Amino acid sequence: MQADERTQWVPAAVSTDILDGTVVPAALPTGPIAVWRTASGELHANGDRCPHRGMRLSHGFVRGNSLSCIYHGWRYGRDGGCEHIPAHPGLEPPKSINCGPLPVAEANGVVWVAAQAPEEAPAEIEGFEALKSMLFCATPAAIAEAAGGALKTELGGTPAHLVTAERTPSETFVVALVPTGTDVASKLAAATALEALRRVTESAT
Amino acid sequence: MILYDYILSPSCYKVRLLASLLGVKLELRAVDFHPGREHKGDELLALNPAGSIPILVDGEDVLTESAAILSYIAAKHGQNWLATSDAGEVGAQQQWLSFSHRLTSALGGARLVEMLHFPGDLAALQEAGIAALRELEAALFARRLTGQTFLVGDRITIADIACFPYVALAPDGSVSLDPYASIRIWMRAIRAQPRFIEMPGIHRLHELAPDPLAGDA
Ligand SMILES: N[C@H](CCC(=O)N[C@@H](CS)C(=O)NCC(=O)O)C(=O)O
Ligand code: FES
Repeated sequence: MQADERTQWVPAAVSTDILDGTVVPAALPTGPIAVWRTASGELHANGDRCPHRGMRLSHGFVRGNSLSCIYHGWRYGRDGGCEHIPAHPGLEPPKSINCGPLPVAEANGVVWVAAQAPEEAPAEIEGFEALKSMLFCATPAAIAEAAGGALKTELGGTPAHLVTAERTPSETFVVALVPTGTDVASKLAAATALEALRRVTESAT
Repeated sequence: MILYDYILSPSCYKVRLLASLLGVKLELRAVDFHPGREHKGDELLALNPAGSIPILVDGEDVLTESAAILSYIAAKHGQNWLATSDAGEVGAQQQWLSFSHRLTSALGGARLVEMLHFPGDLAALQEAGIAALRELEAALFARRLTGQTFLVGDRITIADIACFPYVALAPDGSVSLDPYASIRIWMRAIRAQPRFIEMPGIHRLHELAPDPLAGDA
């Protein structure tokens, strides 16, 4: 990753897909990340490797304001710092144990994460909100081409924006945005059209 | 009710899970599936010529298909876990019970190749597994749009129990569950049920247990 890419917001998840008090897996170009909400809904992101033995923190669980590793229960706070080591309950964990918190923001119902703090908030697309995320086995360029040459498109009769993040050279994370207030039937049609777009894109790749 | 059971079998776990959720007691008969291949021995072949487990024996009734066993236990002990007489529910329930066999052959097949080194075309099984997961994700997303969490009707049913284990164990066949947000939320809702039980590779929600540190704060 180039230095300037590190300070770019990357779409990581749909806001409503991360329930309060849960953690989900996602990825930056630098590698896997864990994105989680505290019990009261505050959003956090960090690297997906537990500093203890490297277990994926996205397999862990949230209690209150902390994220716990599923393996040996090391517990991390909102600043990424280790708060508790069950095997040594009397020990105050050294400050150096930290799971690497990442800048995180929400816009258009999309969760954006960056490797390093960007200067500005993620750009808003006025009047649109996230419908659904999908992983395409294709490049962002192939997706744009299949969508008619641009990521501003139309899905099942509804205007749509596609927000994309290349995760690996063969996998792209896609979030489809539709106008705020779109009715359920049109949302369903848009989701079905997104599946069709993936089929077309993947069979062209 | 006697269940011929193997702890690592997701199909047997479906039956144990439903029984636990319904508070029904099963008499478990442990089958030495691997490496003993007891399911291919005379005693079990007499009960089930197909040579597979689970097998449920309840008096005169002998059942050898997990979907049938789930229907049977629910009919006896948990009507609310079955479709109502509504045609839409009946159809959807049958649809997902049939679909669960696709999960068994694709994701279960990949798991047997990866874990027990059974012969099979791993790449083809994984591809079929991913196709099934994408289909399930799309269906569960559509359910969420209408405010529902589970596959059939407005509550958890045997359709969810039939599909849950092989989906949850997809990573055993090196098929990632990371891309499927609606599946993740659905699996969490199943694991949050009272009297949920675990099997190796499927754990309960630790956060639902009392916090061992509570009181420190
Ligand atoms: N009868 C099906 C099949 C269940 C199944 O695949 N069972 C596996 C163990 S998890 C088995 O017995 N395989 C041995 C075989 O089919 O030879 C069901 O009850 O869903
Ligand atoms: S690997 Fe996370 S606590 Fe041990």
